[in-house]
Amino acid sequence: MHGRPAGLIRRLGGAEIAAVAIFIVAFAIPISTKSVLVYSVLNQVLVGVVATFSVWIMLRMNLLSFATPAFMAIGGYTVAIAGRYDITDAFLLTAGAFIMPALVAVPLGALVLRLRGTYFVLVTFVLSQIMQLVLFETPGLTGGSNGIAGIPPGTLLGTELASNQQVLLFACGLALLATLITALLTRYFRQHFAAIEENEILAESLGLVVWRYKALGFVVSAGVAGLAGYSLVNMLLTAHPSSFDSITAVDFIAYTIVGGRASILGPVVGSSLLIYATNLFGTHGQYAQGLYGVLIMVVILAARGGIVGTIGTLLRRRP
Amino acid sequence: MPEFLEAAIIGVGLGAQYALLALGFTLIFGILGVVNFAHGGFYMLGGYVAYSCVSGLGLPYPLAVLVAVLATAALGWVFELLMIERLIDDHLATLMLTLALYLIISTGVLTVFGPISMEFTFPVGGAFRAGPIYVPRENLIVLAVCLAAIAALYLVLFRTDLGRALRALADDRAVGMALGLRPRLLFPAAFALATGLAGLTGALVTPILSLAPGVGDPVLATSFLTVILGGLGSLGGAALAAFIVGIVEAYTSVYFGGSAGALVLFVMVLLLLVFRPTGLLGRDVRGA
Repeated sequence: MHGRPAGLIRRLGGAEIAAVAIFIVAFAIPISTKSVLVYSVLNQVLVGVVATFSVWIMLRMNLLSFATPAFMAIGGYTVAIAGRYDITDAFLLTAGAFIMPALVAVPLGALVLRLRGTYFVLVTFVLSQIMQLVLFETPGLTGGSNGIAGIPPGTLLGTELASNQQVLLFACGLALLATLITALLTRYFRQHFAAIEENEILAESLGLVVWRYKALGFVVSAGVAGLAGYSLVNMLLTAHPSSFDSITAVDFIAYTIVGGRASILGPVVGSSLLIYATNLFGTHGQYAQGLYGVLIMVVILAARGGIVGTIGTLLRRRP
Repeated sequence: MPEFLEAAIIGVGLGAQYALLALGFTLIFGILGVVNFAHGGFYMLGGYVAYSCVSGLGLPYPLAVLVAVLATAALGWVFELLMIERLIDDHLATLMLTLALYLIISTGVLTVFGPISMEFTFPVGGAFRAGPIYVPRENLIVLAVCLAAIAALYLVLFRTDLGRALRALADDRAVGMALGLRPRLLFPAAFALATGLAGLTGALVTPILSLAPGVGDPVLATSFLTVILGGLGSLGGAALAAFIVGIVEAYTSVYFGGSAGALVLFVMVLLLLVFRPTGLLGRDVRGA
């Protein structure tokens, strides 16, 4: 048991390695198929997973955030506005989509991280609503209710990301990047986050500088949401306020809770399964919300660990 | 000048509606420690129940409002007893449960009534005129009913044993229970009281505004703003903040138009959080 691979897995975290592996394997899907349905579902999953990571990071510290759509909008609109100035370099845009929301999160974090529990939930919900208003009220910058359409396709190392396959491969890359960032953050600061989740006041009294880790988590969570926004805008080649509706935060929260909040695999499994299930509703996608509602109730009342947590418990119970 | 007075009357009218919603919301939080994400859902449900009673069963409107109150209160009672009660001390879990209920109510309404808005009109038309001032009569009736409901709620909470028991539990649950108060009876009662108020507001207001799936979202957002402004768990704060929100909304929409009112309110709330995170009349509340 104390061999090198086992030690390495324990240090890096089995779930984290599995999550990264899943997104490396995901590159094979766009290469091996051209099915429109698969492309559409995979694209939504790749955006959804990244956005859900943003919720999950905050939930590691027992903070339920509704602010993800707001930061997604900042990331997405950064890319869309850069497109107006013919900035299409994918590396530059990726950096921008991460850094801009993270920068905005610094002063916002100073404001909202003073709040805990319920107040934090309510205020992040209000933040997402403010973002919608800001998008509608600044037509000069964001195109107002029309949004920004006709964004030029990005270029990666001189190649234009024009075909659906290339866009999807790039989305896989963004998801892999987001997974690596999330895994590194939550793995490296695992004990700090766990202490805050368990009992923040006790952690602080034991000398943990709580605000530092909360601020770091909030800023990185905002950056990761920005990457999701980039992925979404890159898929649609349009930035529109309706893509970042504050109520979509509920979806990402549902993915996290149903998938399981204890492990990084929870957001991955939750968003993949629920987005796949939503697509089964076909044109009646609006009814999927009811399904989410029922699933959340089942998880909260009967299977607290979510899908991943419950499977883990079942596996461990076996002799 | 008439414009100024009309805006004041509209503002007070909005304030009274928001007060009914925010009082229910803060009652649930103060007593049970639960953030009710389904509050907008109960508002919407109140509207739809009243609409069904009027257009489907042909009941007179006042009776339909009463049915809507009873139906939303009953749903609140059952939901609290069967679901919230089991996880009452887990803030995040109860929040998720109410969120789930909201998703289910929204989908249910969408399935039964479809996505288009209903033709639900207030039975009393016309307007009240006093010199140059012109106020729709329906707004005055709603204002009167809302104020009566607020007064009744005040009497229940501050002049009856039920109210004293509820406030005692809000103040300190452990001591209240040690003195023999029964949460298994009182918690569902508090929840039902609050959801009934949301249903009442929905039944009264949706004929004037609109009735469609999704009308609950802005209601939820306004309730949040109001209780943050007033201080979570504070009844007086919620009522005060509701009238501030209503008046600010009325004046900004008359003089600036568009969504200026919402932006002004958001800025107010953010400033308040910097200088006084507990809200206008709030104190430190559990878990907040």
